[in-house]
Amino acid sequence: MHPIFTTSSMIKYKQTTLRNGLTVIANRDTASRMAAVNILYKVGARNENPSRTGLAHLFEHLMFRGTENIPDFDTPVQMACGENNAFTNNDYTDFYITLPCDNIEIAFWLESDRMQWLNLSAEACEIEKRVVIEEFRQRYLNQPYGDLNMLLRDMVYTTHPYRWATIGLTPDHIADASLEEIRDFYRRFYHPSNAILSVSADLPEERVFELAEKWFGAIEDCPHKAEPIPAEPAQSEPRRLEVERDVPATTIVIAFHMGDRLSEDFYLGDITSDLLAGGDSARLYEHLIKGKKLFASVNAYISGDVDCGMFVFTGQLLPTTTEQEAETAFWEEIAQLQAAAISDYELEKVKNKFEANTLFGELNVMNKAMNLGYYSMIGDLPLINREVEIYRSLTKSQIADFSKRVFTPENSSTLIYRAK
Amino acid sequence: MIQPPLTVPASVYVQQAEQHKALNGTPIYVINCPEYEVVRLSFVFHAGSVTQCHPFVASATANMLAEGTQHFTAQQIAEQLDYFGSYFDINIDRDYAYITFCALSKFFQQTADVIEEVLLRPTFPAAEVEIYRAKRRQQLSIERRKVETIAREHFAKAMFGESHPYGISYPEEAYDTLTAEQIRHHYESRYTAENCIVVCSGKITPEVLERINAIASAIKSGEKGGVEAFPECQTTSQKVIQHDGAVQSSIRMGRMLFPRTHEDFVPMQVLSTVLGGYFGSRLMQNLRERNGFTYGVFSAMVNFQQAGYLALATQVGTEVTEQALDEIAREIEILRTELIPDEELALVKNIMAGEMMRILDGPFGIADVTTENILCGFDNSQIQLNLQRIQSTTPEELRSLAQKYLAPEDLVTVVAGDFQ
Repeated sequence: MHPIFTTSSMIKYKQTTLRNGLTVIANRDTASRMAAVNILYKVGARNENPSRTGLAHLFEHLMFRGTENIPDFDTPVQMACGENNAFTNNDYTDFYITLPCDNIEIAFWLESDRMQWLNLSAEACEIEKRVVIEEFRQRYLNQPYGDLNMLLRDMVYTTHPYRWATIGLTPDHIADASLEEIRDFYRRFYHPSNAILSVSADLPEERVFELAEKWFGAIEDCPHKAEPIPAEPAQSEPRRLEVERDVPATTIVIAFHMGDRLSEDFYLGDITSDLLAGGDSARLYEHLIKGKKLFASVNAYISGDVDCGMFVFTGQLLPTTTEQEAETAFWEEIAQLQAAAISDYELEKVKNKFEANTLFGELNVMNKAMNLGYYSMIGDLPLINREVEIYRSLTKSQIADFSKRVFTPENSSTLIYRAK
Repeated sequence: MIQPPLTVPASVYVQQAEQHKALNGTPIYVINCPEYEVVRLSFVFHAGSVTQCHPFVASATANMLAEGTQHFTAQQIAEQLDYFGSYFDINIDRDYAYITFCALSKFFQQTADVIEEVLLRPTFPAAEVEIYRAKRRQQLSIERRKVETIAREHFAKAMFGESHPYGISYPEEAYDTLTAEQIRHHYESRYTAENCIVVCSGKITPEVLERINAIASAIKSGEKGGVEAFPECQTTSQKVIQHDGAVQSSIRMGRMLFPRTHEDFVPMQVLSTVLGGYFGSRLMQNLRERNGFTYGVFSAMVNFQQAGYLALATQVGTEVTEQALDEIAREIEILRTELIPDEELALVKNIMAGEMMRILDGPFGIADVTTENILCGFDNSQIQLNLQRIQSTTPEELRSLAQKYLAPEDLVTVVAGDFQ
């Protein structure tokens, strides 16, 4: 079968590195009147100490506490008709501002200022700690299934810091973080050579570089030796955890270790998860919800982390389904993949869908700026325009091999999250 | 370094929607943005939950359009859409059902084959209805374990009355008696040319428009199918709902006002933005930044076809619920007694302008705003008028609106949490 998608658009960009080590990437978008300015710091929950988890995320919050020069970060963004936000995950912390292109320099001014002069007063830290603890309670403790992912991580990883979620292991770690620890974190991770600035706007790339030099060029770098991150040892026996909670429906999760972001495993895992759960025509939905009527909802996904990640099956049982039936159903799906029972049409479909989603994703400046920062962070910026091609090249036998290698009982962690 | 200058766009240019009429009279609105290689096509029916004769039938109808048609099974529809990388989205509110399809331009015709079936020839097979009922019932029971869901549903009841079409909510068991027959009836009576508008955006070539026209012209004519006159609202001003084990309380507060067509709607939007409509809003400053009671708080004007209200929502630690309620009351009182400082009001105006610019940056956002305007009986020149109206509000005007509309005795307060 020939691919029906013949041309795919490319994100054009130019890249430079300032003398202090700051990476700068510019994409020109002539269709938009808005500009997106993204700054990514190469620090996430995986860089945390096991006895002080949640610090990377707490720090993301602190980045909005203002400086002596700019006491309130949000107001100038908003005066410039802009909007800003941030997120933290296990691998990195990302800050972004979108605003009318005419006001783009405001974003440079703000980001360069907080890279150097952040207000880390005792008072600011205390208030932000309380906000983060409320976030912990709202999103993880006060939600049905709120602790599910925490339990899963803790079972799948014994050693690697992916063992904990970005929010941290417990609110106590956040509550007990000292001012000195917080200040040390800032020095260690928030400096030019640990950051990537990426911009998408209707501006010549050279103009973006000039602005970067003007606002960031004079910031002194203070490089720190990266602490090694402990590798996760290979798993050799099935793991299993059963818990009971006050939820309406039992959920079953089976997770497997797989390769890292730059390995072939990433693409094989991604396409396999699309075969299983990418859209309403995908296997799990058709077979297990529609066909066997075992689940109310079902999913398969990869965690997509930089270091070796997880492939996860998850399903919420209907009241009439036994746990045994549900587990067996997942393993039967796995057996089909291992036997390469995949049609050309089906494979072509998930490839087409991947390509279309990539194109839809390139419609706005924010996504582009964010993606440029991300691909630079993983260490292979040109990959941003090669993903579709790599995805296209994958074959049934590769998917079967991947499934045989990864989906084994010895490599599995099963979580039964049982409704009381 | 000193702050770079910034400019505030004096106007936001939005193209008018080009108007066409299908043979059966269905209006078609076209936003042609030929620089984007995508097509988005929405059908909006006056078929929201206020028009239903049985609990959940309006949402079931919209959600099940693609679950089997005269010529395709649910699986074939999903396959076909996925194969071409197209997708569709169902949105339903109290008044309207929005059916939206997205496709890459080069696959619009193939996607249209599916759109036609989904829209014109759904069969609502009994077996699919059964799956849908079980799935949704379970989802709803999970939702109702969350304090925010409990507060939201009780707030609507408190504001409009237990059996008012805008206030009512139904027990989960009502899903068990939902039938294919009821759904078919709802479809026949509500998905008619008289109840429909079509809005498309992206690259709308003559061939694309011709096809859209053909589909719209095939929508059956029927009766306008009015909605029974709403009963008088029965407002309860205070409600406390006990939810065992909650570590946070969900608070909803607000009052009934008027729909978007009312002259005070836009200035009340300005006022609600000052109160809680952005990250640096008064409630956010107070509850989150100064007190650390909450992860977030938000307020907005909500528009229905026949009503409108102001609402604010937050989740706070159980132990600070009373204090949070006092602080909210205090912030509202300040709006009634003091003038909003000029700088703050200028900020809010810029935020609102910026929000508009961001939404309107790209074909899909323009289509959304266009749809909203049409449903209110406006055209796109309303956007500029609204911006001018925002710009012209004064501190004096806002204070007198607060005095008029936000008297403590007129507010409805609902709190869900663990108070024992």
